[in-house]
Amino acid sequence: MYYKNINIWYFATFLISLVVAIPIITVFSSFFQNTSNFSEILRNTFLFEYIYNSIVLLVGVLFLTFIIGVGCAYLVSFYDFPGVNFFKWALILSFAVPPYIYAYSLTAFFENYGTAFTILKFIFGEGNYNKLIYKFDGMEGAILSLSFSLFAYVYILTRASFFYQSQNMIDLGKNLGFSKVKSLFSIIIPSARPAIVAGLSLVAMETLADFGAVDFFGISTLTTGIYNSWLSFDDLAFANQLSFYLLIFIFGLFVLENLSRKKAKYHSPTKGGFKKKEKYNLFGWKSFFAFFACFFVLFLSFIFPLSQMLYWTIIFPKNFIDLNFIELSINTLYLVILSSITLIIFSFISNYGNRVSRSKFLNILTTFSVSGYAIPGIILAVAFISFIAWFDNSVIKFFGFDPIKKFFIGSIFGLVLVYFVRFYSLACNGIKSGYEKINRSIDESAYLIGYSKFKTFTNIHIPYLRNSALLIGILISLEIVRELPITLILRPFNFETFATTAYIYASQDLLEAAAVPSLFLIIIASFFILFTSKYILRERHE
Amino acid sequence: MSNFFEVKNATFQAGRNDKVNNVSFEIKNEGDVVCLLGPSGIGKTTILRSIAGLEKISKGSIFLKGSTLSSDKIHIEPENRNVALSFQENSLFPHHTVQKNILLGAENKKNSKKNINIEEIISLLNLNGILNKYPHQISAGEAQRASLARSLVSGPDLLLLDEPLSNIDQSFKEEIQVKLKQIIKNLKITTIIVTHDSYEAFYLGDYCGIILNNELKQYDEPYNVYHFPNSIEVVNFLNRGVLIPAKVSSPKSLENFELGTITGNFIKPYPIGKDVKLLIQPEDLEHDDKSNLKLNVVDKKFRGSNFIYTLKTGSDLLIPVFVHSHHIHQHEINDKFGIKKPIHIEHLVCF
Repeated sequence: MYYKNINIWYFATFLISLVVAIPIITVFSSFFQNTSNFSEILRNTFLFEYIYNSIVLLVGVLFLTFIIGVGCAYLVSFYDFPGVNFFKWALILSFAVPPYIYAYSLTAFFENYGTAFTILKFIFGEGNYNKLIYKFDGMEGAILSLSFSLFAYVYILTRASFFYQSQNMIDLGKNLGFSKVKSLFSIIIPSARPAIVAGLSLVAMETLADFGAVDFFGISTLTTGIYNSWLSFDDLAFANQLSFYLLIFIFGLFVLENLSRKKAKYHSPTKGGFKKKEKYNLFGWKSFFAFFACFFVLFLSFIFPLSQMLYWTIIFPKNFIDLNFIELSINTLYLVILSSITLIIFSFISNYGNRVSRSKFLNILTTFSVSGYAIPGIILAVAFISFIAWFDNSVIKFFGFDPIKKFFIGSIFGLVLVYFVRFYSLACNGIKSGYEKINRSIDESAYLIGYSKFKTFTNIHIPYLRNSALLIGILISLEIVRELPITLILRPFNFETFATTAYIYASQDLLEAAAVPSLFLIIIASFFILFTSKYILRERHE
Repeated sequence: MSNFFEVKNATFQAGRNDKVNNVSFEIKNEGDVVCLLGPSGIGKTTILRSIAGLEKISKGSIFLKGSTLSSDKIHIEPENRNVALSFQENSLFPHHTVQKNILLGAENKKNSKKNINIEEIISLLNLNGILNKYPHQISAGEAQRASLARSLVSGPDLLLLDEPLSNIDQSFKEEIQVKLKQIIKNLKITTIIVTHDSYEAFYLGDYCGIILNNELKQYDEPYNVYHFPNSIEVVNFLNRGVLIPAKVSSPKSLENFELGTITGNFIKPYPIGKDVKLLIQPEDLEHDDKSNLKLNVVDKKFRGSNFIYTLKTGSDLLIPVFVHSHHIHQHEINDKFGIKKPIHIEHLVCF
């Protein structure tokens, strides 16, 4: 077959995929390495606790995100009530609040003499309210923080599935005399099952990967175990082995999610068969209930943490003045621009390389490398350090060169490289889905009117995918602004972003000081979400 | 003098099932049109793609104007062949208007010696009304015409058209067929057309190739392909007749035990007394109400200008017969239908 040639595009794609796959390979290879005594101690003591906590956290978060995500998606998809069009996109604003910032807000509000106390004191005067205020701490706090930050995954995918559900199927339910409740449980939810499972799988991956919120609430999970093994006990091999256990867990979910997506395609309407859904108009108390339910979720997931951070920023203006806003903005922006541009350029190259080479091997390698998305940032960072240390001690030492560690660890280059691995899937799959819309015969038409491969790439593909690339760039920026563990571990000395500054203050129990960088982080992230909301909630027929 | 275009013992293969082996044919003169006919999935498109350079060939050679385009050792890149291929599906650049798409075809073939009037082609293909539209705003038929225009304006040495009229409305199809032939002939663009519509192939082609069972079964002028099919497979594919058993009774006649003596000219000689299968095409038999040779009507199709009656013989053979639709009366199913005797068929095609 033509174009099966090994050319420059093939090599470029191969190299990109290989670089992205290195941390994954490192984690798997660590299983055969020797570990310190710490690992033996941990195996006999806390390992079970790590696993138990991870599972409890996972179950709790999945349950809550299912209720919130599916509930909201159902209300905005099937009913008309005041504010429905606003809630449709406003509910995704929760993405702007990372779980660790939610955790700070939750603690700040419910802690002794916290915001809740101040409100009660303001309304009812002096009193011993601390006893009355429930403390969302530990596991409960972590479950709530993660659920309100992550439910949007379930909401977005379920809503899309509801949107594409056949109206005929719902009409059939009516024809059979089904009540709305029976239709919901017998028709609507079962046919959206693949989308719901896909959303829950993403939530599960993010939950297992979370470091900021669980660390803040002091819960020992596999992720914090990895961090401790590496930082406190200097046992990189065991950190990697813990990562391996976690990866097995996550890959299981990844496979589940992939299978669900394949099924989800099965539920897509055929061309021309789409009929816009008829919405029920709600009146009276039903309308109020729907409005209130959506507002309650929006309030808890976005307005509450935003207000808490804003409140503290206002009442502690010194923190605002002390914050080196310009430097943090420049640092954050620098990382965002550098990483987004690098990711988009290389994703274009690897997608085009795959397209023109049509190599099965390359395709498998790319698929393997994009699984980096399923790997928690903390694992990637540790695996990256392990790999560089190994490379320095074996290959570089063997040739007698100067160590290269300093170029990769604690440098912008290393940081961007690990971001690259972490978010490559997002960029690569985003560009890929754009490419899938370009029929191969379009490339071939270009060749036949005299375009070279390079000219086809620059004159046909890039202009056509320009808008997609811009949107993907913004989505990557959103992720990088919120990202914590990779930045925390690999950033250069004295190089801070809004996320790391917030974390450092919070870890020193200076929650009031953490509020200012958190507030800016939420504002920047909300800005990115507003830009991309049409893309995230895209509805081809609307 | 060498042929303008030639395929020599080439094997074409893109997938597991659409392999076409040992194909040889040639186009002697510049401006000739060849139509390749065959059932779906047989590999016709693969042949076009290979000639365009989008697929490699494993055996044989392809030559254009005396130069080798493809062989087991040589493969000229598609962009360097000056061969245009118009795809069956929409292959317009989605981010350009129809006009820009067509102009891109012209811009990138500045070396073409053909004097092509872009406006004339746009006008002939009725594209004036959609020039400023984007591909997603036009119908499949319009996209196909625009794609055809883009290929034509590039002034190729060889134009390849893959089912060029498949998405065009029946009412408009004949008009476009006429215009297409006019453009190709005026510009002397050598063309290979893939189609499954034999009427289209017979109208447009100077030569027709029939691809069946992984090989090029027949390559000849359309008249010859229709009247002198060289194999039973070609007869079955064209589906324009029936084979009946007969015995050669003289150098100019055969005998069938139900139809009696059939006279005509054998297209190749057979020994007297040989049992053969004779091809009877719908226009070979004539209707005659007064004839004593009567067969049962089992089906009747109205085709506008004529009826096709399917008649059943005593030995259950089904024979199609054309009758002008202005014929004084019609026959219904189960009626007796008279066949004029003696039967004379101009070309006696036997197997």
